[in-house]
Amino acid sequence: MSSWLTRPITTRLRAGMEWFDDRTGATELLHKGLYEAVPKKGGWAYALGSATLALILLQLFTGIFLLLDYVPSVNEAYNSLDYLRSSDAFGAWVRGLHLWGSYTLIFVIGLHMLRTFLSASYKRPRELNWVSGAVLFFLVLGLAITGAMLPWDQAAYWTSVVVTNIPHYIPFIGDGIRKLLRGGDFVGPITLTRTFAIHVWVLPFLMFSLIGAHLYLLRRHGEFGAWVNYDTDPGEDEEKQIGERIRHAEPPYPAKRIGRRYAAPRETVPFFPNQLFKDVALSTVLVAVIFVMGLISGAPLDGPSNPATLSYVPTPEWFFLPLDQFLVVAPTNPLIAIAIFGVIGLGAALMVLLPFIDRSPERRPLRRPEVIIPALFMAFTVIFFAVLGINRLYNL
Amino acid sequence: MNAHLLLDSLSPVSGSILTNGVVVAVVILLHIQIATFITGSTTLAAVSEAISMARGDDRHERLGHMLLKSWVYLFGFGSATAIFFVVFVLSGLWAIFWTALQQITFWVLVFEAAMFLVEIALVYSMYANWERLRAHRRARLGLLVLLTITLWWQMFLIDVVASFMLTPNGGDVNLLNQVLNPTQLPLTIHRTIGNLAWSGAVLAFVGAFNYLRLTRRSGAPQPDAPAAMRPLRSVGAMAVGHLEAERRRTEILHWEWVTQWGVLWAVALTLLQPWVGYSYAKEIQLHAYSAWYTMMFGDLSNVFLLQIFLLGSVFVLGSLYFWRRMNRSGAPRARRQLFLAIVLILLTLLAVQPAWFAPTYADTVAAGLNRPWWQGGLLNPIGNFIPFKASALIGMVLFGLWSVTSYATALSRGHIKPGGSGRGAQRAALLLGVVISMMMLVMGVIREHSRQPYLINGEITLHQQITNTAPSVPSLQQSQP
Repeated sequence: MSSWLTRPITTRLRAGMEWFDDRTGATELLHKGLYEAVPKKGGWAYALGSATLALILLQLFTGIFLLLDYVPSVNEAYNSLDYLRSSDAFGAWVRGLHLWGSYTLIFVIGLHMLRTFLSASYKRPRELNWVSGAVLFFLVLGLAITGAMLPWDQAAYWTSVVVTNIPHYIPFIGDGIRKLLRGGDFVGPITLTRTFAIHVWVLPFLMFSLIGAHLYLLRRHGEFGAWVNYDTDPGEDEEKQIGERIRHAEPPYPAKRIGRRYAAPRETVPFFPNQLFKDVALSTVLVAVIFVMGLISGAPLDGPSNPATLSYVPTPEWFFLPLDQFLVVAPTNPLIAIAIFGVIGLGAALMVLLPFIDRSPERRPLRRPEVIIPALFMAFTVIFFAVLGINRLYNL
Repeated sequence: MNAHLLLDSLSPVSGSILTNGVVVAVVILLHIQIATFITGSTTLAAVSEAISMARGDDRHERLGHMLLKSWVYLFGFGSATAIFFVVFVLSGLWAIFWTALQQITFWVLVFEAAMFLVEIALVYSMYANWERLRAHRRARLGLLVLLTITLWWQMFLIDVVASFMLTPNGGDVNLLNQVLNPTQLPLTIHRTIGNLAWSGAVLAFVGAFNYLRLTRRSGAPQPDAPAAMRPLRSVGAMAVGHLEAERRRTEILHWEWVTQWGVLWAVALTLLQPWVGYSYAKEIQLHAYSAWYTMMFGDLSNVFLLQIFLLGSVFVLGSLYFWRRMNRSGAPRARRQLFLAIVLILLTLLAVQPAWFAPTYADTVAAGLNRPWWQGGLLNPIGNFIPFKASALIGMVLFGLWSVTSYATALSRGHIKPGGSGRGAQRAALLLGVVISMMMLVMGVIREHSRQPYLINGEITLHQQITNTAPSVPSLQQSQP
């Protein structure tokens, strides 16, 4: 004990690190994390995934700060946020960060999915990466809509009324689901506490579990992009080329064979510093934009909720405009909801199950019209409904 | 000049509403067919130029040049009809209405006119320098993109005027409200897509016509067989007969490709129209109910049925074209296209049922049957906006999408052999062009008549009486006798 105390501080720190490393294997883990091979090309596009993770973490941190003041009760929710806005030095900014963080997150996760779709990165053996990512996308949307219901101002109250009423149109079980969400026949105190629990516990628990799985699968199979040439050179001995490639491949490769193609890029670089720099740079820029927007624009807070009002017109968040417009153009017959749920449910199912539908080895977009054309059609529909939604709100 | 004199001078040239309306219909429908083709085909030309640059595909470059020449030929005639329309038809026969409209939408029309100047400068510059610009492909592409943007704005601005006439909604006192009136964006999107589909249909028609002309006597060339040879005299190492036959064969292949390119654009873009058209109709329902009722249930509902029939015909003809091409090429799953054509025919028949064939929602309520079908009611699961039609339209879109996707997949996999088209497919494409042209005519008739008895909905009647006494049409209101 005494000799340990008399040794120089650096020696003592090193010894401490060795002790820690011996017990945890931290250095090996760090090395594995930093020096894995990633494709040389397409690094900026891959940075969208890390940016998504960074934004989720930002939401977590700003959410924790908001929790310090927010009171999930119909009598206090609005007042607590009003206090945050008017009396807390950084309260309005933190709310702004949380709001603009959520907007940016939805946008970036959408871009990340688009990149994955266009490059066909969801194909074997990365099917489960896609499935977990697609479910994460829906969880983020769920967090966004439940978050919009929490301030319990006019906008939040009427959003709660509209959103919790949607399941009512599902035959047989719709009324039960609505009652479950509302905690009764009408929106009230239990609705808020349930929404709060879903927003801060249920959805984050599911989300972080899936993020863990997503990252594990990512590291297991490595990054993948269509613009990397996976084909062997024509005219040369294919088996020889494959042998060479496997010999030189770094973890998480060697290549996995998919028919006559190989799931490993030709040229790889270590994750650190190449990809890590891009990841950090993009995430920093996005977070900086969010900080500025949070400061300039903040987050709106309407007047306190008033269930008796007849003049208030609820307007959806921008990312729900297509869905809202879909409901508007649907005929007034409540049974149209079956078609809506059918169409949206089918669209969501097709999205999640995409890797099991598109099983061809083709990866270039022009070689995959069987998925690209329907996807373009769906994308057009979503954008078109969003534009019409804006148009409708302008002309209210 | 006092206000009364001014208004007297605006009195229209004598004529009946019917004859004046017919003159408008003839001139404007002719103008629209030309203007929309030029607007839509600029996008196709820009796409072709980009593909030609990226892949070195000469077919696309030739197509782009052909389109440019067609604009030059058509632009003069199209402009002449527009000038005739404004100077004689509107200023002469519909003077009060036109003066009011021009005053209300003054700035929109000023920018519209400015766009014409840009269009003229771009089209003729490119026409004069097409070959010279071959050495500067990016510049040529840039000019085409600029022209596309210009013409899109031109259409956007004229849509402001057209949609304002249907849903003014305060746009006569607020320019932003005028530009973003409730039906403006739906109409613009509807027309943007329609213009592209129409341009594709024109290409399909022209390609099919040329193919049929070239193969009138000898039939289609076999995909892998050498061209028919008839040596007459020699030119260098090649007999003239060989040369002519080879040139003819190249021409046939080119026009066959043009037809295919046009059909794909026409059918694929039309697939979006049920969504877009339905949403447009919904905005009309929300903001100009009487016009919507006239179209869907009133005097124009039968004309609308014709429109729906033509819409279904586009998908049917498209899948027949695809079937013939796939079948003749021996592509796998060619029979699926035939199955899709049959399904699309059935869906078209379902969609063209007159509205009174099925009970309306009001009838259903009156009969006490406004319950879901599983509770013994009569409610249509797909809604009561003209029962059964919504479901038929959704079906048309989905099966049409399947048809286009199947063909595109076969094409991308190399299952469609060039030269293996056959005349049957070309006849379907020819008909497709005619059908889409008719759709545009019918849609024009529906749109213009739905507002009746108004020219500007709720503000100026067909008899050019100003009915709205609100702050609209301010300058004219003060001078009303």
